Amino acid sequence: MEFIAGLANGFLSLFQAGAATFTGWVTGIIPLVVVLMTAVNSLIKIIGEDRVNGIAEVATKYTITRYTVLPVLAVIFLANPMCYTFGRFVEAKYKPAFYDAAVSFVHPVTGLFPHANGGELFVYMGIAAGVTQLGLPLGDLAVRYFFVGVLVILIRGIVTEKIYLHMLKSNEKRG
Amino acid sequence: MYKSVTVKAGRGGWGGPLTLVPTEAKHKVVSITGGGIHPIAKSLAAMMECEAVDGFSTGVPDEEILVAVVDCGGTARCGVYPKKRIFTINVLPVGQTGPLAKFITEDIYVSGVDESCFSYADASAAQAAAPAPKPVSGAPKSKAQAKEEVARMNAGKEKGFITRLGIAIGGVVSKFYAAGRETIDITIKSILPFMAFVSMILGIISASGIGDVIANTISPIASTLPGMLIISFICAMPFLSPVLGPGAVIAQIVGTLLGVQIGLGNIPPQYALPALFAIDAQVGGDFVPVGLSLGEADPETIELGVPAVLYSRVITGPVAVIIAYVASIGLYS
Repeated sequence: MEFIAGLANGFLSLFQAGAATFTGWVTGIIPLVVVLMTAVNSLIKIIGEDRVNGIAEVATKYTITRYTVLPVLAVIFLANPMCYTFGRFVEAKYKPAFYDAAVSFVHPVTGLFPHANGGELFVYMGIAAGVTQLGLPLGDLAVRYFFVGVLVILIRGIVTEKIYLHMLKSNEKRG
Repeated sequence: MYKSVTVKAGRGGWGGPLTLVPTEAKHKVVSITGGGIHPIAKSLAAMMECEAVDGFSTGVPDEEILVAVVDCGGTARCGVYPKKRIFTINVLPVGQTGPLAKFITEDIYVSGVDESCFSYADASAAQAAAPAPKPVSGAPKSKAQAKEEVARMNAGKEKGFITRLGIAIGGVVSKFYAAGRETIDITIKSILPFMAFVSMILGIISASGIGDVIANTISPIASTLPGMLIISFICAMPFLSPVLGPGAVIAQIVGTLLGVQIGLGNIPPQYALPALFAIDAQVGGDFVPVGLSLGEADPETIELGVPAVLYSRVITGPVAVIIAYVASIGLYS
């Protein structure tokens, strides 16, 4: 009897650590995320998509804004995965590069705007949880993640644009 | 002569398209939009040459209603008419929600509708695309009649201001409410399930001692720049990145595992920033064709675009890690 009880305790202890982690996340992460997400979602509904579309049409004209302002607006206002529909403002030859820029921003955005990709929060949250455990503030990390993200998507947009145009050219030669 | 109109879902809307065919018995466009006839109901009625009715102040027998126009944020009204199998147009972009969600189906309900969603159902009627003017009473008006009419219109305006104010406040509140519901939806459908399954895995890892193995192997790699460059390069390899991408599940699990190691002090906290880019070089590698078609790219662009994005990652994945490494100088020190 004691043996079985011991076995049961061992079995349960396997999950107690997980339960503690789950409680920590539900009480530590969810309340802030829920309130923040609701606030940003309301703001976006009040501003409205139409007003953002106007800015998007201008931003698509220049290389720098096409891979910074345009994807950032798309991700914040339309969120993953509808943000890629902003590709319709972009010329065909720049569409793959725009996609690359937009999709590469769906995680850097979550540090400051979790609403934009609620289903994939833990790329950032997972790492951030460790930083929190050390008693360090997250603000600095979230802001740097956001801005490094903007720089990275700019580089990604430019590199992908060059590669795609090169492939297009060599494809035409062959065809 | 009545005209048939097809109504499709608008921006962010759901359901439809519905084809509305007015008949002698069924020809009323009923607007249930909190006082007055909604402009959408008005212009729809004008297109079909039907009658628009304010459903709040006038009762209309169900069998006379061709279509109901509502502005419901997703509580009740949007389900009431579908439940009675009456065509329903919601001017707000609301899908299958509320207590009557199961009655809201695509063949009876369409939402997010604005004027651009209307089109004549058959080609012969299409030439008359300009909305027909509202029928004016034929007999010439006497002065007294005209005066009376003007007075009535003015009275309507004053009342209209308060009604409009009410509708505006209601609109803002309904937006807050919709935002809250969206947030709770995603919390329940995506965030909590992920927390449940990852905390289970983490619990087993830490209780079973596998955690020590991870601490001894991954931590040394993830706490040096060359180690992180290798991780990002592996994630970015064109034959691996589409496999590692879906739902960012892998990146999220690895992120959580690294987080645990940071929390234990095995990886210095300033490495959090470059690590975020190292484990994410494959982001969206699985989604390129879908993402491009959402952006209205044609098949030729997609065909070449997919390899272009994947090859680009081999370069930009490690580059991102280097940038993040430089940007992490001064973080948490």
